[in-house]
Amino acid sequence: MSKLSTIRFVDPVQDPWQPRPDGAAPVPQALLSFAQWSALRGQWPASLAVGVILANTIDVETLADDLPRWSLVALQFPKWTDGRAYSQLRSRMRYGGEVRATGEVLVDMLPLLQRNGFDAALLRADQNLDAARRALRFFAGHYQGDALRARPLFNRAEA
Amino acid sequence: MYQYTDFDRQFVHARAAQFRDQLQRHLSGQLAEDDFRPLRLQNGWYVQRHAPMLRVAVPYGELSSRQLRQLALIARRFDRGYGHFTTRQNLQFNWIALHQAADVMDMLAAVDMHGIQTSGNCIRNITTDAWAGIAPDEAVDPRPYCEILRQWSTLHPEFAFLPRKFKIAVTGAAEDRAAIGWHDIGLHLLRNDAGEVGFEVLVGGGMGRTPLIGTVVSPFVPWQQILVFIEAIVRVYNRLGRRDNLYKARIKILVKAEGERFVEAVRREFRDILDRDAGGREHLIPLAELERVANHFRTPGGVAEHASRAVADDIALSDAPPAYRRWVERNVHAHRLPGHRAVTLSLKRAGQAPGDASADQMDAAAALAERFSHGELRVTHDQNLVLPWVRTGDLRALWEAARAASFATPNIGLLTDMIACPGGDFCGLANARSIPVAAAIQERFDDLDLLYDIGDIDLHISGCINSCGHHHSGHIGILGVDKDGDEWYQVTVGGSDGSTLSGAAVPGKVIGPSFSADEVPDVIEALIETYRAHRAGGERFIDTARRIGAPAFRGAADAVRRATAHAEATA
Repeated sequence: MSKLSTIRFVDPVQDPWQPRPDGAAPVPQALLSFAQWSALRGQWPASLAVGVILANTIDVETLADDLPRWSLVALQFPKWTDGRAYSQLRSRMRYGGEVRATGEVLVDMLPLLQRNGFDAALLRADQNLDAARRALRFFAGHYQGDALRARPLFNRAEA
Repeated sequence: MYQYTDFDRQFVHARAAQFRDQLQRHLSGQLAEDDFRPLRLQNGWYVQRHAPMLRVAVPYGELSSRQLRQLALIARRFDRGYGHFTTRQNLQFNWIALHQAADVMDMLAAVDMHGIQTSGNCIRNITTDAWAGIAPDEAVDPRPYCEILRQWSTLHPEFAFLPRKFKIAVTGAAEDRAAIGWHDIGLHLLRNDAGEVGFEVLVGGGMGRTPLIGTVVSPFVPWQQILVFIEAIVRVYNRLGRRDNLYKARIKILVKAEGERFVEAVRREFRDILDRDAGGREHLIPLAELERVANHFRTPGGVAEHASRAVADDIALSDAPPAYRRWVERNVHAHRLPGHRAVTLSLKRAGQAPGDASADQMDAAAALAERFSHGELRVTHDQNLVLPWVRTGDLRALWEAARAASFATPNIGLLTDMIACPGGDFCGLANARSIPVAAAIQERFDDLDLLYDIGDIDLHISGCINSCGHHHSGHIGILGVDKDGDEWYQVTVGGSDGSTLSGAAVPGKVIGPSFSADEVPDVIEALIETYRAHRAGGERFIDTARRIGAPAFRGAADAVRRATAHAEATA
């Protein structure tokens, strides 16, 4: 029910998850597009950790067979004000791997990302980490339930 | 009215602190305008023609005298001494400098106020019947549900960046005074045959360039399930609503395009949340929570006692001056409790824009609320203020005091009680000005006898197709349009907000090419004279308009046409 309460900032230089060109042989911690995965899903070895980048138009409910095979899902923000990826993530799918925000990710999105169940964020290159850490500290609590706390304020003991 | 808890108070202060951080980053160059804009919008800061406009949330229209005094103080200290009440029951300032924005948010937070989600592509501040909790025709008081919805929608993490703005309106009365059919979601609280409380849910209403009335997606959602049902609607919209075209991004377009498939998707999502999501049943509302919130809306002390003692509830009119009688007829409304009335303070008077109030007037209204209405006010959809708890025996004294404070124009529901947006004088979106047109009509129809003869009529003016002045739903609608860089006005007849008087919600019909600004008062007069010539029995304007149709009005309007937009003349 409750995930880690911190969100990790991905350092693009240290990040082990790297995109692969089409046709490359399977390697650990490959970050594939969904089209690449679709071509390789029949032959990808279960022992090799794989991550997949999903467009925000994909209905995750159609991925029930794929999700358990992925160690990482990268959800996309083509524009930071395009909030479709927030509705892609769902406790319904019981996904246990890392969920990462990619694309145009701004520090002011962090509270939303965290509350929607993202574990990690690859911030846009110009973003400031101090501001990012501050952005996560303003609110002591919220009204609705979320990925951190499923219960809304009115169903919590302290309400 | 709702009393803030410690949590609520902490929350708005946290929001003010978050906004200060964002503003400082913006002012110091760390946060570019494009990235700052969505953040400030969701705090009510909308940069327009002369300065930022601040839209302050007045949740479901309830305002305390203390809050109104603080708004007056902000108007004096940071603005040019006035504010504008809107059709969505909010208040707008027009002249506050952006670098002072965070200070203003702190001042608002000090009186439990904010600008959260009053703009931007998110779930907006929720509106309701301004007579909620006091109307005799009310089946269920909507305010506790509005507050539960306010809390649920406030900084909802999944729905902060929808394809477009999203407006919810709620009514719990027989009469729809919240125009719910015109909203993205319209909620009608009612009791079913078993006496259980639930919501009829409409989705996909909206104005703008494609005016549409909401579709009933469920005739009855039990109140316990309403948050989950709305979550299902908004989730389907967030995933499938169009983002490629600003003008096709509202949920109404999705509902229209998908029809029954949309309704089925919502039903499926609703079931999936409850049956499959981890924690999916957590947002079912427990009775204890409804009761806790309902307790915040207790009738003010002394009101019930007075109601139980009230025997004679008649308003003494026998020796009253005609002006008082008129005020009682138009500005005083029935109340669910004996010995009480609700009273409208008219913000429609000569020399001031519809819905405007100066700082002094805000203080005066606050003083009236304290003296006559237990310190409570309401902001109406029609841009007036209401005192909800006035004793019948105090009406005469209130009338005297309201007159002295310029609030007693006895015109509620009449032609000069018009709805108007700020228009091109302030708004960066507007194609044309609204305020001078409103003023010219006010001036033309300054004869009260004539206004009374014309009777009930809704005149709505918008400065552009975004429809903040609700021109689509006016019995007469005026829409500012830009043609070749000039201001022109398209006129419609026969629109309805969905009230009993106006009939089923429907957009008005355009009566021909646009008119120039100086023609508008003549056109309105021609429409009114057409009505007076054709009315039968006790027909109101809207009845006659529906019976004889738009063409008769078009002919009359064309007869006073002097200029015609070049583009249209040559088209």
